[in-house]
Amino acid sequence: MLGPSTAWYLGVAAFLFGTGALGVLVRRNPLIVLLSLEIMLNGANLALIAFSRHAGNGAGQIFALAVMAVAASEVCVGLGLVVALHRRRLELDVDRLSELRG
Amino acid sequence: MILAYSAGGVLVWIVWVVAGLACLASGVAVVSFSNPFFSALALIGNLGSLAVLYLLLSAEFVAAAQVLVYAGAVMVMFLFVIAYVGPRTETPWSGGPGWQTIGAVLAAAAIFLEIIVVIGLKAGNRLAHSDHVNGTFGSPGWIGRLFLTDHLLAFEITSIVLLIAAVGGVILGSHTQRAGEEAST
Amino acid sequence: MIAGAWLCLAAPLGGTLLITLCGARISRRAAGWLSTISVFVAFAGAVWSFFGLRSHGSDHGSISTAWTWLQAGGFRPGLEILVDPLSVMMMLIVSGVGGLIVLYSIGYMDGDDEERRYFAYISFFVFSMLLLVQGGNLLLLLVGWGLVGLSSYLLIGFWHERPSAVAAAKKAFVMNALGDATMALAFFVLIAHANSLSFATSFATAGHLSSTTVNLVALGLLGGAVAKSAQIPLHTWLPDAMEGPTPVSALIHAATMVTAGVYLIARTHPIFEQARTIELVAAGLGTLTLLVAGLIALVQTDIKRVIAYSTMSQIGYMFLGAGLGAYANGMFHLMTHAFFKALLFMAAGVAIHALSGEQDIRKMRGIGQLMPWTRWAFLAGSLALVGLPPFSGFFSKDSIIAAALHAHWYGVILWVAALIGTFLTGLYTFRLYFIVFPGEPTPFVREHYHAHHGQEGPKTMLVPVGILTVLAVIGGWIQFAPIWTPLTTWLEPVARTLGVAEPTSWQEGLSSALAVALGLGGIAVAYLVYGTGRLAVPRLPALQRALEHKLYFDEAYDAAFYRPAAALATALRRGFEEPVVLAAGTDIGETAFDAGRLVRRLQTGLLRTYVLFLGTGMAVVAIVFLAVR
Repeated sequence: MLGPSTAWYLGVAAFLFGTGALGVLVRRNPLIVLLSLEIMLNGANLALIAFSRHAGNGAGQIFALAVMAVAASEVCVGLGLVVALHRRRLELDVDRLSELRG
Repeated sequence: MILAYSAGGVLVWIVWVVAGLACLASGVAVVSFSNPFFSALALIGNLGSLAVLYLLLSAEFVAAAQVLVYAGAVMVMFLFVIAYVGPRTETPWSGGPGWQTIGAVLAAAAIFLEIIVVIGLKAGNRLAHSDHVNGTFGSPGWIGRLFLTDHLLAFEITSIVLLIAAVGGVILGSHTQRAGEEAST
Repeated sequence: MIAGAWLCLAAPLGGTLLITLCGARISRRAAGWLSTISVFVAFAGAVWSFFGLRSHGSDHGSISTAWTWLQAGGFRPGLEILVDPLSVMMMLIVSGVGGLIVLYSIGYMDGDDEERRYFAYISFFVFSMLLLVQGGNLLLLLVGWGLVGLSSYLLIGFWHERPSAVAAAKKAFVMNALGDATMALAFFVLIAHANSLSFATSFATAGHLSSTTVNLVALGLLGGAVAKSAQIPLHTWLPDAMEGPTPVSALIHAATMVTAGVYLIARTHPIFEQARTIELVAAGLGTLTLLVAGLIALVQTDIKRVIAYSTMSQIGYMFLGAGLGAYANGMFHLMTHAFFKALLFMAAGVAIHALSGEQDIRKMRGIGQLMPWTRWAFLAGSLALVGLPPFSGFFSKDSIIAAALHAHWYGVILWVAALIGTFLTGLYTFRLYFIVFPGEPTPFVREHYHAHHGQEGPKTMLVPVGILTVLAVIGGWIQFAPIWTPLTTWLEPVARTLGVAEPTSWQEGLSSALAVALGLGGIAVAYLVYGTGRLAVPRLPALQRALEHKLYFDEAYDAAFYRPAAALATALRRGFEEPVVLAAGTDIGETAFDAGRLVRRLQTGLLRTYVLFLGTGMAVVAIVFLAVR
């Protein structure tokens, strides 16, 4: 393989994952939390693709595509929630949304 | 040929460094901006740089799917909702008990370091040399064949998940009348 | 023989259980008769054992074991009873006199609300006393000892609405508990050395113990005997115990329980003979008690208290006899004393009952005119007590006095003291008689006296008094030392009189003559002072006050034991219990609250926090996996 070895890609993936985790834990706006979640998923995807290339195995790329599909579904539902919250005039702050009420 | 190889190697390295830095920077930007609109734009940048990295890893189809689906559809959806919800600003590091922030930083750092350490310990030696792949590796036809032969179940289940998500999204977004009534009572 | 002994033991227990279980379903009368019959059945069993033992011919008696009671290493006491001359003698006395007294109680306690409880208790007492004397090993003796103390407590405090009765019951129990403790300690030493409490083994081991050890054991036993028999220094409970009903005083505090100490010394005499000093201490304490009690009895104004001090004094004589080694004489005096002392109590009880509970002798003056039978009964008992021939006391008491003369050089001191005691006995007994019975009835008596259907009392009270009067007169005719001694011969196999305590004929004669003379002298003085009033009571205010305060023993014990204990208890309560123990309760609660408050801070209610915990947990688990590999 030309360029850096797999280890470098994995380092980037790890950093992305950590950054995404930090964002999930620290931010209060649910939209930003969803975005940070996307970062984490992308980090995982990068690791999968890197290992797939390293081992010459196609399963990694298949898995990454599945992850992308799932991420899309999850974002769809999550954004639906945000829209519903907004419609009910609730404050978009995960700290405030601490009670499960219909 | 060595010259071409070495020229190709240097080019790859340069591309990698640029894409990698862009990736890291846009990742940090996503969690740092107070305006969600800017965070979403940063995420689009992140997805783009990731697509470049995928190309370097011979995953052409995945890179294309990333740009088309992720950046093209999912992020657009995000931007729609951000625009719908309206401008909001929030100070990212405030709120919650004091130890929450510190704990979050420590936990995230710990996770990052641990991943590095684990990979280094477990697979350090083997990561140096990667397998040689042929030209069809990562091509759409190759992916398609895998989807329809070895990983058929994953393919089908993924489609079901997408269907469910679509239904859920519609339901979540549809009760306008009732939401209006509940909001007024 | 053995069956008779078991019957004797089981019958009163059966009576108690039956009365307790039937509760209010049976009438009060029925409870009384049930109790009486159970004790008389016990007497029948005792008589059966007596004849069985005589025909059996076995000298040392037999032990019958029901089952092994405890097992602790090599220590295996059985639930066993012993049938030998000494135990059979005690069985007869306890069940015989006891039966008469329980019969008397039916009349005395008639009309009391809690009669059934009384009869249950008194049957239980008879059972306990029989267990004590029949116990085949020292452990059962101790069990009986404790149960007797319990019954005494229950019966002294029978009228529990009276605070004085409750206090007296507690006092008796605490002092007896002291004696129980010393006895238990002595038994522990015996178990440690002999690994058994059976009579044979422990007596044999006593011979091999070091001098200090055997002295300690004997001292422990003596402590128990002194407490139970109300000798100085553990005597203060007996006068107060007169708070109980009169039959209780007659049975427990005259005839049976208080004599248990003498029985103990006679039974464990092999141990005491190894610790001769302690035995002589017993004799000395007995002598001291008989003098002190006699003196205090001279100033008492409650009829029962005079008789109580008289009991104390007479047991002093028994201790003197047993302490010197004249066990048979001590037991003989125990028997005659049971007769005449119970008689005295019961006759006094008839008078008290007729006067609806009045016990002050100054108010009871002249009641003899209204109650002649009681008067003669009391006179018979008094003459027996003083020891004039041919009454029973003469035969038993004089042998003891003579034994003192024969003992070593200090025996003479004891002899002189015992003779002074006979003078005092005559004096206080007839002081009591002359104050209460003869002469014109006082207005109080005329007003309060009520006969029972024309008779002095109900039949159930008069019949036992009559029987005991006869026994008080002829009961001593069973032995006339040194000419004819069937009782000493009977007790010989188990309680051989020590040679040092066997007086010669001239010593016997001298002692008897002097004792009778002094007794008559005491009666004469009492007649002159109290009967006719020719002599006046000498004015000795300091001595009078000291005797009225019972030589300040109660005050001394109060200052020496009660006050420091109370002060210590109060100090501990203030210094330890309130700040430490009680506060600990609240402190534990507060600590739990504080801990909870700390933990509550983790519950922020924020989703982010819980996700943080997730992430932290994952990181920690990863580290653990890394470390463990």
